[in-house]
Amino acid sequence: MGSSSSRMDHIPNAEQLMQETGFSAAHILRLYARFEFLDKDERGELRPEDFGALRGLAMNPIGDRIIGAFFSRGKETVDFPSFVRVLANFRPTETNTIRDGGQSFSRTRKLKFAFKLYDQDRDGKISREELLQVLRSMLEQQVTEEQLQSIAERAIQEADLDQDDAISFEEFKKSLERVNIDEKMSSHFLR
Amino acid sequence: MPSRRDSHSPAGKSLLERGLLLLIVLVLLQGSVLPLGAASSPDTSHNDNLDNHQVTDERNNYTKKPFPVLALDYHHIQTPFEIALWVLLASLMKLGFHLIPRLSGIVPESCLLITVGLLVGGLIKLAGEDVPPVLDSRLFFLCLLPPIILDAGYFLPIRPFMENLGTILMFAVVGTLWNAFFIGGLLYAVCQIQPANPSILHNIELLPCLLFGSIISAVDPVAVLAVFEEIHINELLHILVFGESLLNDAVTVVLYHLFEEYSGAGKVTVMDGFLGIISFLVVALGGILVGAIYGILAAFTSRFTSHVRVIEPLFVFVYSYMAYLSAEMFHLSGIMALIACGATMRPYVEANISHKSHTTIKYFLKMWSSVSETLIFIFLGVATVDGPHSWNWTFVTVTVILCLVSRVIGVVGLTYVINKFRIVKLTTKDQFIIAYGGLRGAIAFSLGFLLDKNLFPMREMFLTAIITVVFFTVFVQGMTIKPLVELLAVKKKQEAKRTINEEIHTQFLDHLLTGIEDICGHYGHHHWKDKLNRFNKKYVKKCLIAGERSKEPQLIAFYHKMEFKQAIEQVESGGGVKMPSAVPSTVSMQNIQPKKAPAPAKPAEKAPSQLPKGREEEIRKILRSNLQRTRMRLRSYNRHTLVADPFEDGFGDLLIKKQKMIELEKKIKDMNNYLTVPAAPPDSPTMCRARLASDPQAFRTKPESDSVPTIQVDLASPQSPDSVNVMDEFRRAGQEQRGEEREDEQGLMMRPPSRPHRSGEAADGKDPQKLTRCLSDPGPSADEEEDEPFLP
Repeated sequence: MGSSSSRMDHIPNAEQLMQETGFSAAHILRLYARFEFLDKDERGELRPEDFGALRGLAMNPIGDRIIGAFFSRGKETVDFPSFVRVLANFRPTETNTIRDGGQSFSRTRKLKFAFKLYDQDRDGKISREELLQVLRSMLEQQVTEEQLQSIAERAIQEADLDQDDAISFEEFKKSLERVNIDEKMSSHFLR
Repeated sequence: MPSRRDSHSPAGKSLLERGLLLLIVLVLLQGSVLPLGAASSPDTSHNDNLDNHQVTDERNNYTKKPFPVLALDYHHIQTPFEIALWVLLASLMKLGFHLIPRLSGIVPESCLLITVGLLVGGLIKLAGEDVPPVLDSRLFFLCLLPPIILDAGYFLPIRPFMENLGTILMFAVVGTLWNAFFIGGLLYAVCQIQPANPSILHNIELLPCLLFGSIISAVDPVAVLAVFEEIHINELLHILVFGESLLNDAVTVVLYHLFEEYSGAGKVTVMDGFLGIISFLVVALGGILVGAIYGILAAFTSRFTSHVRVIEPLFVFVYSYMAYLSAEMFHLSGIMALIACGATMRPYVEANISHKSHTTIKYFLKMWSSVSETLIFIFLGVATVDGPHSWNWTFVTVTVILCLVSRVIGVVGLTYVINKFRIVKLTTKDQFIIAYGGLRGAIAFSLGFLLDKNLFPMREMFLTAIITVVFFTVFVQGMTIKPLVELLAVKKKQEAKRTINEEIHTQFLDHLLTGIEDICGHYGHHHWKDKLNRFNKKYVKKCLIAGERSKEPQLIAFYHKMEFKQAIEQVESGGGVKMPSAVPSTVSMQNIQPKKAPAPAKPAEKAPSQLPKGREEEIRKILRSNLQRTRMRLRSYNRHTLVADPFEDGFGDLLIKKQKMIELEKKIKDMNNYLTVPAAPPDSPTMCRARLASDPQAFRTKPESDSVPTIQVDLASPQSPDSVNVMDEFRRAGQEQRGEEREDEQGLMMRPPSRPHRSGEAADGKDPQKLTRCLSDPGPSADEEEDEPFLP
């Protein structure tokens, strides 16, 4: 890996990133290559338009939310470390026992990430309006407003245990306890 | 797989009944067996008489016989009678086992059935008759096997299957190959040992050994189904073993034909091996292609069946069977064709057909596959008693040991490789269950039976060994797997249903992962799934699904189904509303009751007993609109003398009464603003009217008391949609937009002519099929399959 180490020098804080996220050197390189590919203007950082250029993402119903997740609050650009950190959420977990749905650090972390995508205003709860927005974007134009309302109503009723008409993170986690999050939120590519 | 059994009946007079059953069965058997031997004589005498008649006629000199008032002509009906008798025997046996609950708890049904087969075979032999060649390969492959496979394929849980497809293929293809060669090779080696005392084993060459290996190495879907069904293991393991048993058919077919072809020649060249590989691809992919084509055809046909609902199930069965036969015609893998056909057609057919057809298909498939399976095991027993046996200690014991050993090594080795690629790894416990679940069954036996005696002089020895292995796996492994599963605390199947939250979030996560994969530039699993879904939504669904259903997003469909199920549960348990005592609380909906015993607890849990008023309103509307749809469906039954389910009608009446009462109460209080799901565009009003007019069994509502507003529909002149009055309350509640929908919804509104306003109107019809489905769905707890959307 002689040549790669010289390439690694281009990448700022590579060692630290590897430590933090658990990616291997090869991965970091691959992600850097992808970063550079997305960064068409060679600015060293990505802007929403760079993400928007991806066709698949444009067609994705929640594409804009995903893009938004990369940009931390207030910032308009994404540098490479942030890029990697966000993607690190999708690494498959190492241990086998997670399959039983046991509470583990990484499972919670993944769920937190997903929760943030729902909870756009970052108030720690998924309100009815936020849920409606998600449903609207997922179901596109195929349903009427009343149907959406019903579904949102139903979903909140099911999940909302403390009757505050919104879904908190704990309730969110509980409603997904039977789903194998590690499997659903992991990508092979990022192993 | 959903259980095909009902709950056990109390063991009160079970022994007596059991004894009685056995007695009846024995008598029937004896009755059938004896005439078998005597069959020939009446026939010939009959012929002789005829000849005599003809001859003497010519001579114009016949003796007039007294006219036979009562005659016995067994030969005339012999074959169908025997078939019916066997089926009856199988079914009675199945009944009998459940009269002894303790027994069926310990011993899996397959074992009991084989034992019965042995008994029956023994009886027949004792009676001195020839045992009929029941496990004739043609009968087996053409009649007994397809229903089981179709049942499996139609209800195959697509999502876990696709997610684990790589693993399943590895086990099926590589695992079976490994088994075949390992067993065949080592057997040959073992046969060559002992040069000191030459035995018949020496004559066996390599190729027959390999052939034997390939026959015995395939995991059998029938046996796996029979055993795994009872142990309720978690979905992953179930689909792995079951999927493997289905997909290894292609490998078995190719290997079998390859070795059989060349056993005569005595050697196989590299070229042949190469051709074998190509043949494998052809067999597998060709089978799937044939199945998919027939599946698409069936889906397309079902699009047009809205007028002749009664024969809808027939299309499903006939197309599938033809797929199987067509594949067999080309020596492709019939099993894979059948699976592909069932899995392909299912999402589209289910969207098109009526609810009753859906139930019919489900029940027929379960019934046939159940009978088939029972028969197969019984016949295995009979054939064991009958078959020419040639017992050779060395051969048989070595075979059994080798089967076990090769299975274990195969599974462990493959898992090691597979785990490198899996996100959710297979643990040691999993590996053990997979290895232990590798049961052999009747397919192996039938394949052995097919061998030509001339080419394979040691056929009998093979058959004996095969039967031994089958018995060993079914009895020993089948009986012990349940305690082992308990002992090892293997994760069991999750019985609970999906909630709407899970559904929403799962879809959300799917989109999320697809997006992430796009960002990474990696075309992974999610990407292709997403692409396929889009393609499906855009093109395929439009072609194959009739009417408006083609545009229905799967979340909505799921939601409708859930809502309705909950509505039913609410009504069943009396709901959160205090009902006047006129409505009996024991609404015995026989359809849903047996499996929903825990259900009344569930609504309390799922939706708090203090339901908001809006919810009840919603439920009422759903129920009411469903009633209308149910009524309309009745038409097809009348025409073909299928009597409409009296319970449905009775239930309908009950519902109407309940609704009246709820309305009354509601009227007094203020109505909340509620939310419901409006209708999909309905059938045209004319059609609705026509249906109702011709349906004498529809509206039988009777007024209970004067205070209860009644529905009186004059059949001769059903109300036209224009006479719909939108409720004032609606306007008050500010649902103006709904007003327009009222007009063109449901052709027929159930309104009491006397009352100018009523609450909670009309056909807020939801999707008819999903609603009716839930209402009269008597399914055994098979609802898991219904919850699986297409490529979710």
